Amino acid sequence: MEIDPLPNGSGSAGTTNPEAAATTTVAAAALKTTPSSKLSQLTESLKLEHQLLRVPFEHYKKTIRANHRTVEKEVSAVISSVAEVADCNEPSKEDTVLNLTSLVSRLQGLKRKLEEGSRTENLQAQRCRARLDHLESVDAENLSEWNNVRLKRILVDYMLRMSYYDTAMKLAENSNIQDLVDIDVFQEAKKVIDALRNQEVGPALAWCVDNKSRLKKSKSKFEFQLRLQEFIELVRAENHMRAILYARRYLAPWGATHLKELQRVMATLAFRSNTECAKYKVLFEPKQWDFLVDQFKQEFCRLYGMTLEPLLNIYLQAGLSALKTPYCYEDDCTKEDPLSQDSFRKLALPLPYSKQHHSKLVCYITKELMDTENPPQVLPNGYVYSTRALKEMAEKNNGNITCPRTGLVCNYSELVKAYIS
Amino acid sequence: MELNSLKDAFDRVAKKQKLSFSKTQEVLDQIVQEIEKAIEMMQSTTFDYKSVLAELKKKLHEIAPLSQLEGTQKELNIALSKHPKALEKILNPDISKAYRNIEFDSNTVNQIIASHFYRQGLFDVGDCFISETGEAEAAVAMRSLFQEMYQMLEAMKSRNLEPALKWAAVNSDKLKENGSDLQLKLHHLQFVKILQKGSRDEALKYARTNFAPFAANHMAEIQKLMGCLLYSDRLQDSPYAHLLSPTNWDVVAEELTRQFCNLLGQSYESPLSVTIAAGVQGLPPLLKFMTVMAGKKQEWQSMKQSPVPVELDKEFQFHSIFVCPVSKEQSTDDNPPMLMSCGHVLCKQSINKMSKNSSKSFKCPYCPSDIDATQCRQLNF
Repeated sequence: MEIDPLPNGSGSAGTTNPEAAATTTVAAAALKTTPSSKLSQLTESLKLEHQLLRVPFEHYKKTIRANHRTVEKEVSAVISSVAEVADCNEPSKEDTVLNLTSLVSRLQGLKRKLEEGSRTENLQAQRCRARLDHLESVDAENLSEWNNVRLKRILVDYMLRMSYYDTAMKLAENSNIQDLVDIDVFQEAKKVIDALRNQEVGPALAWCVDNKSRLKKSKSKFEFQLRLQEFIELVRAENHMRAILYARRYLAPWGATHLKELQRVMATLAFRSNTECAKYKVLFEPKQWDFLVDQFKQEFCRLYGMTLEPLLNIYLQAGLSALKTPYCYEDDCTKEDPLSQDSFRKLALPLPYSKQHHSKLVCYITKELMDTENPPQVLPNGYVYSTRALKEMAEKNNGNITCPRTGLVCNYSELVKAYIS
Repeated sequence: MELNSLKDAFDRVAKKQKLSFSKTQEVLDQIVQEIEKAIEMMQSTTFDYKSVLAELKKKLHEIAPLSQLEGTQKELNIALSKHPKALEKILNPDISKAYRNIEFDSNTVNQIIASHFYRQGLFDVGDCFISETGEAEAAVAMRSLFQEMYQMLEAMKSRNLEPALKWAAVNSDKLKENGSDLQLKLHHLQFVKILQKGSRDEALKYARTNFAPFAANHMAEIQKLMGCLLYSDRLQDSPYAHLLSPTNWDVVAEELTRQFCNLLGQSYESPLSVTIAAGVQGLPPLLKFMTVMAGKKQEWQSMKQSPVPVELDKEFQFHSIFVCPVSKEQSTDDNPPMLMSCGHVLCKQSINKMSKNSSKSFKCPYCPSDIDATQCRQLNF
């Protein structure tokens, strides 16, 4: 039974604000669970997989560009060598021949490197294709298996972001999903993170150089922050002269855009590392290194087109919010509801309750949906159960019903059907 | 889903990359060729090596290898920059738009993950996770609980019913309380297994010892099984051939899992799987909403109820939700659902409004019956 706009006392039935309009169309789309809408639900869930396709592609692109740079560099070096030798009058014939021969072997070496590079590129291209195929492969039959794999992918992503590399690898091997997860991409990050945790900026700086153009495009100041930290370490070691030279060379270029921050850090020269002055004490804390690790993780994820938060958190939040009702926190909440568990309840506390536009009634006895095929019946005390459950009870008990929650006994004939759309 | 445009965009990239690769090789070969020619010419004494060198320099300049490479590289770059755009068109580039910036306590999350691993039987992965995160206690309890279950299931996979039978015997009272005939089903499988081996007497003996306690409630099934005895050596040709099907084992394995979880007070599905599956359904409408509400993210972050209605599938409905068809609000303790005399249901506040606080009768919005507000009964779902 669908309800039409009402002639009397309806007030809020006809909404006019744009958000509600958008949400009602969304609600209409997600309404029935007919097969065609199951398909559209599937399509919607596939649209969430941007990260799956983007990351291996970025990796592939990076490899292609790096290989090309190498080729360009070597070729121009060889050509200018030839020009140099031609213009220079010194060397004898033998020396010239030797020179040219060495250039030839240099080029042969480059060819080999190029081939190897191409092999790597092909592997990465294969991975991109494998993921496209994986997205295409889902259909009604293998849906539950595909969903299982999705959960595993999400867990591997979480492990990698939290640096639990062993577990990530084990899980990926165990379920044979190595092609669908980005362990190798994160290995790259691991080097930088481990070094930063060891208070070394070397690998991080090398990473910045590798990705110079992209970082510049996104106006990243990560390199600047690394340099600042190195400066502070020099100050901490009371190597003031070196610190100043370092600042002149590496920090000054950033002065134009980040002057205030630069000034603040430069001021540490005037203090000792065990200073009690709060403003400068914080700069000497080891926590600054943790901050750098976080910064790196953010830059890294941004570069590869990954979300900043782990996928697990995003899906968990959405799921908990969609499941959360005030009834979940009651003692008699069914065990099948994840929110009957303490750990889930704790996570869901700050999240909003779910919103529904249509009644969904669940029989207390059978846990089945009470709809037009199995309508709800009302006992004389106002408690409601499904027709199926009550019929079964009546059949086994001479037409009598006992309310499981209040103990009230009545006859099946005393029940009243309720009509709820 | 229509992924062809993505595949095409990617194929283009791969094609351009191959072209670039072969072009690069070609160019390198050209350079090598010229230099080797020059070396050869120099080594034959007829030519003056200086002029050969000058020739080489000029030739290399003519070939202009770098500009040759530039051409194919440019095309490759164009394809490389088009692909992400194609991706962003079809897929949602930022699914964290609706994310609320609250701290998820990592200990709680790790506990949930560890329990999940043990529940799903991934014991090594779970152990590895526990040692890497340094979590312990709570999840370890889960481990020993579910280890028993997986041992039984493993045994069943190799058609060994002993552990399962033992467990069912120990818990037979509780199983009966839950209305489960698992024990009988297990005996059933064992019986058929013995019969398959061809020893009719042993099967009969087994039936005598084990079927009796179930005779009261499951007579029909037991009679059917007894009928099998007639066909002990040719079950596959008998009308009982379906008993040999391996799906019977799968069905019983599922029942075993269900009852095991039930007895432990655990849910049948891993709560993490259920939540993530709900998230997959709940996220798309949420994201669509956020694009509409782009500017008002702050407002939505502090709301107590999600502004986006999400209709989850049946399997995610654990509680009755009543939505008043008039006010579209969900019922609460203060605003409970009320049954009207015509059998339709509205929430209390709507009834009060329509009856002007019980002062007069009104027409039910569904059917034209007259309703007296005082006659309406409160419902408890």
